[in-house]
Amino acid sequence: MTNGRRRRIQAPGNLERAVWSNWMEGRTGDDASLVDRLRRGEPRAFEELVIAYQHRVFGVALRMLGSRAEAEELAQEVFLRVHRAIAEFRGDAKLSTWLYAIASRLCLNRLTSGERRMARAGEETLTRLASGHASPADELERSELEAALHRAIAELSEERRIVVVLRDLEGLSYEEIAAALELELGTVRSRLHRARMDLKDKLERFLP
Amino acid sequence: MTCHDAREWFSALVDGTLGADEAGALDGHLATCAECRRELQRFRDTVALLRGAAPVRAPAGFVDRVLEAARPAPWPRRLLRGLFLPWPVKLPMEAAAIVLVSVGLVYYVYRTTPELQRSARLESTPPVVTETPRLTPEPSAPSSSREKNQPPERDKAQEQTRSMEKKMADRRDAPRDADRQKAASRPAPAVAPLVGGKVEAPPVDAGRGANVAEERARSQAAPAAEPRADASQPRRPATAPSAVMSFAPPDVSGRLAVSDRDAALHGVAELVTRLGAVESRRVAASDGTTIELTIPREAYPEFVRELGRLGRWQPSQEPASLPVQVRVVLQIRG
Repeated sequence: MTNGRRRRIQAPGNLERAVWSNWMEGRTGDDASLVDRLRRGEPRAFEELVIAYQHRVFGVALRMLGSRAEAEELAQEVFLRVHRAIAEFRGDAKLSTWLYAIASRLCLNRLTSGERRMARAGEETLTRLASGHASPADELERSELEAALHRAIAELSEERRIVVVLRDLEGLSYEEIAAALELELGTVRSRLHRARMDLKDKLERFLP
Repeated sequence: MTCHDAREWFSALVDGTLGADEAGALDGHLATCAECRRELQRFRDTVALLRGAAPVRAPAGFVDRVLEAARPAPWPRRLLRGLFLPWPVKLPMEAAAIVLVSVGLVYYVYRTTPELQRSARLESTPPVVTETPRLTPEPSAPSSSREKNQPPERDKAQEQTRSMEKKMADRRDAPRDADRQKAASRPAPAVAPLVGGKVEAPPVDAGRGANVAEERARSQAAPAAEPRADASQPRRPATAPSAVMSFAPPDVSGRLAVSDRDAALHGVAELVTRLGAVESRRVAASDGTTIELTIPREAYPEFVRELGRLGRWQPSQEPASLPVQVRVVLQIRG
């Protein structure tokens, strides 16, 4: 066990946390530095990691599983695994790719294991996904579009769904997807294209 | 290029990964195929829709929950986990509890098996009518009631027992009812039942009576030998002597050399009655008779004195301190 695992993680105060979180969220640079600090067991490094990647990891989990509770549970598991196994991270790939790889694998495992409760994936989840600050009419229209979009994504097969989520919703490159899912590039291209074609047919009504 | 081939390249075109040659070929097809142009536009719109989807945000408090979960468990819990869950495959607690209880039960049953077997023997053996050996002959009574309910595997031992008892019954002397009634009224005697002729032993002793029969059957091979004491049999409390006590090692043993054996046997029987002793076993052979008896410690000196009158008493074992009830094995030779 490393010193880092033994040390307690200190959470900053609320105000400081809010400012710091806003600054940290979505940060993708300095991965190498963050990994070094994580390996050294710096108390704040893990917190920075969670703050920086929480929405992306949670997003993948929610798009794949369809349930917020299940997605939160899985996203938490992703970060705990990173926390336990940071020493094993070789640094060949980006830290974000490693996180997406863990999240994707856990999602696919859970989807194929039959553990999950399908009943959770209902309208409630889909309507909650909608967000924005438009007028009520726009909001309604957007909600409807978002709901249709996510319903269409949910109807894809798992192997196509994860590829399109990583590519078009999370913005990973083909190579990063291939690395995260341990697939050939050709397979990634093929699955992505099929997923998009399926979605085009399903979302016909919402296209201009 | 067919429409199908052209549409296969839409993703690569949208993502900008299409090679120059493929891009030229696709442009050529699109320039001549209006349907594929419309299809490409819908494809682009779909991808734009996906990429414009509202970003998902983790729920409030997610970071705190993750940090809390990542904190190392208190050391006692980690220690317990390391001690009791060292296996890569964890047993559910319920299954582990069932396994533990089962192992405990099996161990308990294993440990108590001899007791259970003994209990089973006691239950299958009917109460035994124990006949006190008497000095005066008496018409031999068939001991058929004893064998009625015996299990078949004991038939051989029972047969041997019957023949042994018949032999002993033939040597019995006449009953001395008056003396026996007198003895029964005394306060001191240990256990009255065996003094007064035919009595029904209590259930436990009845079971042990079966053991007596087995022991007798075993001793048939060497009838003249000194009665054997079963070392594994624990000593019973001195306040409750019975026929079974003869299997415990005697406190005193010795030889009484007499000129007239019958007279000596008669005299010993009188002594037993008078001094409140209990005769528990008697084995007669051609060269002598062995009597086992239990006598109160305070009566033992007089018993020895009286034996000296009957013949020459040669004790082979006589400890300095005697128990409250003294077990004596007496060999009468003559």
